[in-house]
Amino acid sequence: MNVFEIISNTNIDYKEKRHLLAQAAENTLTYVNLSVKTEKHLKKGILCDIFEGHAPYRPRYILPDYEKFIKNGSEYLGIEPPKDMYEAVNALMIIYQYVPSITGYPVYVGQLDYILQKFVDTVSEKEARNLIKMLLINIEKTLPDAFVHMNIGPKETKAGRMILEIERELKKAVPNISLKYSKEETSPDFAKFAAEVALEIGKPYFVNHQEIKDILGENYGVASCYNTLKIGGGSYTLVRLNLKKAAQEAKDYNDFIENILPNVVDSLCEVINARAKFIVEEAKFFETSFLAREGLIDINNFTSMAGIFGLYECIELLTGLKLGHDDEATKYGEEILEKIKKVIDEIEGYGCFGTGGKIGFHAQSGIDSDIDVTAGVRIKIGSEPSIYNQIKTEGRLHKYFNTGVSDIYIFDKTARQNIDGVIKIIDAAMKSGIKVFALNTSDSELIRITGYLVKRSDVEKYNRGEALREDTVKLGAESIKNNKTLDRRVREIE
Amino acid sequence: MKGFINRIIENSFIDGPGNRMAIFMQGCNMACLYCHNPETQRMCTRCGKCLEVCETGALSIEEGKIKYNKKKCIGCDRCLEGCLNFSSPKYFEIESDELVKLILDNEMFLDGITFSGGECTLQTDFIVDVVKKVKKNSSLTAFIDTNGFIKEEDLNKLISCVDGFMFDVKAVNDDIHRTLTGVSNEVIFKNLKILAKTELLYEVRYVLVEGYNDNIEEIKGLSELLKELNDYTRLVLIPFRPFGVKTHLKNMLPFNREKYDIIYEEIYKILKERVIKKD
Ligand code: SF4
Ligand code: SF4
Repeated sequence: MNVFEIISNTNIDYKEKRHLLAQAAENTLTYVNLSVKTEKHLKKGILCDIFEGHAPYRPRYILPDYEKFIKNGSEYLGIEPPKDMYEAVNALMIIYQYVPSITGYPVYVGQLDYILQKFVDTVSEKEARNLIKMLLINIEKTLPDAFVHMNIGPKETKAGRMILEIERELKKAVPNISLKYSKEETSPDFAKFAAEVALEIGKPYFVNHQEIKDILGENYGVASCYNTLKIGGGSYTLVRLNLKKAAQEAKDYNDFIENILPNVVDSLCEVINARAKFIVEEAKFFETSFLAREGLIDINNFTSMAGIFGLYECIELLTGLKLGHDDEATKYGEEILEKIKKVIDEIEGYGCFGTGGKIGFHAQSGIDSDIDVTAGVRIKIGSEPSIYNQIKTEGRLHKYFNTGVSDIYIFDKTARQNIDGVIKIIDAAMKSGIKVFALNTSDSELIRITGYLVKRSDVEKYNRGEALREDTVKLGAESIKNNKTLDRRVREIE
Repeated sequence: MKGFINRIIENSFIDGPGNRMAIFMQGCNMACLYCHNPETQRMCTRCGKCLEVCETGALSIEEGKIKYNKKKCIGCDRCLEGCLNFSSPKYFEIESDELVKLILDNEMFLDGITFSGGECTLQTDFIVDVVKKVKKNSSLTAFIDTNGFIKEEDLNKLISCVDGFMFDVKAVNDDIHRTLTGVSNEVIFKNLKILAKTELLYEVRYVLVEGYNDNIEEIKGLSELLKELNDYTRLVLIPFRPFGVKTHLKNMLPFNREKYDIIYEEIYKILKERVIKKD
């Protein structure tokens, strides 16, 4: 869309227009300087900057140290350190409006349970609950973006429990919630409650606290789409490599590993470094941000992210093997990731002080426009093996990523009656090296009852019955989609 | 030792406590009118009927045995509908050691295993073999999902090695039991009483079928009996659903929800938290 088309478009509202106009303005500049070969990779779609814009003037993801903000207040915002729950909630609602990001909304709203727990006793229990509810509704209404992400845990707190209780009642997509989960620190009771809530509203995600702590230290946060980054830091940029498209360039597997991969990963790092450098040196972000001036962010905690996706198709194209169904396929996967990681680590990451001077490695979980290519290192939807093999396969692949990797595991509704069983699987997943475990239930009504095997013909019969009962509008795309979930729902060997 | 298995469900939340691998054995000693898995009832007689209805060539006869090619199967279930013998061309034979390996490979995900069916206790020796090997190498528990029609000898073998029973009671009145299942419930109640006096009777299940066994007095009677026998066994009330049913009951509607709730309330008065509601 050109500027006039944006302004005159009747389908978008004022805020969205302003965002698009800013983007259009940014894109009147030429793209940050790149080599010819790298430009070619971008054009071909082997590399993708996820529409970040030509001339970045703020980091993609910022994780302000809200705890510090609450402790010290802010000179720039004219806010004194909060003394009670009212002031704390108000201070948070204010600062969120001042946190830049790629979408215009903060992708990280903080470790809210720990922050608020300090104030819970300054008011009555009822007031505390009301205030938390107000904060959560405020976040949902003023930051209406699916990438806004809150963290809780690992320890159970009164505030943490209230947050989950209220979210369960509100049933809204925003904000995302991650529970830092550790068998040592999270009480079994809180873990069970969190799993129960997750089966109902799709969040919180279970984050492998032990593993991520070992990589980034205690002070990390989960932001946006499962990105794990240091608090007080963030990521300048996320550029991703489409492994399926890269594989299409290769003569064979050997050519891919020896020639194509080093070449495209080199380009990937080039784009990332050029963008990061532009933010720091041309846009002079850290010199202009009060967050930096007041120590709420520090360039020493920042990094950039090299994302990859489409590993499933890449392996299939080059070897004919199916990830998750073939041990050999996993071995190829490991080799590919190892190679990418090696090339990344040979290059200096501009300003990547938060991850030892190297660019962070990230399994990118997909965007709407991805068609026929699987997110990150996940297994293609509909082709998942048994949940155990899915976890075992992906556990081996998750180990390469230091700035985020995840998968979603679908349970049928019977899981709700058996949270102990769900926790057993989550624990096994953590032990297998899964870094972020998202769970959800299939929305199908037809579920196994005790001692009964669901057959495909039952599913069809059920759907036919439903079709009779429901109006025709609801059929079509929705039901086909649901059928797919049914396919992946009850897994078995015959 | 070999066992006949219809299907293995690796991840089940409803076949006992925690996350379990559910192993559905082939073959049964009853023929319930409302059987949801009629294809597990009998062994294949190799009559070849299913071959005629399979359109994908997934089935063939080799050396007198039905061969099933999973890759070609599209899961249409025509073979199951077409089998007049309440069997399936898809069940398979497995060595106990192979099954043990599959279980142990996934040990970290599991709380235990559950044998179901069909009537799994018809293959008691196989079960005992598998359970002993699994227990030797892990702390997994083993549960039995049974219709209660178990030979004394088999029951004793199982009591000595498993951790729990899920026990179906199909009807309290013997005539109705005969109509619903084809056999008397005398042995079943005898076994129920034996198990109730051990610590192994994890739950009793009762499928409510309209017009057959939904007489409230009879269900109350069962509840009183359970209350009297011990203080822990749960009673799960399951509303009938027509899925999978092959007899004339296939046209019956799912059990009326309001009626279900009334029955549940009545039983709750007797068994309190021990009665479990099912969707
Ligand atoms: S499965 Fe049934 S139809 Fe097929 S051969 Fe066996 S008994 Fe006959
Ligand atoms: S379900 Fe049975 S009839 Fe249908 S394709 Fe498979 S084997 Fe053939």
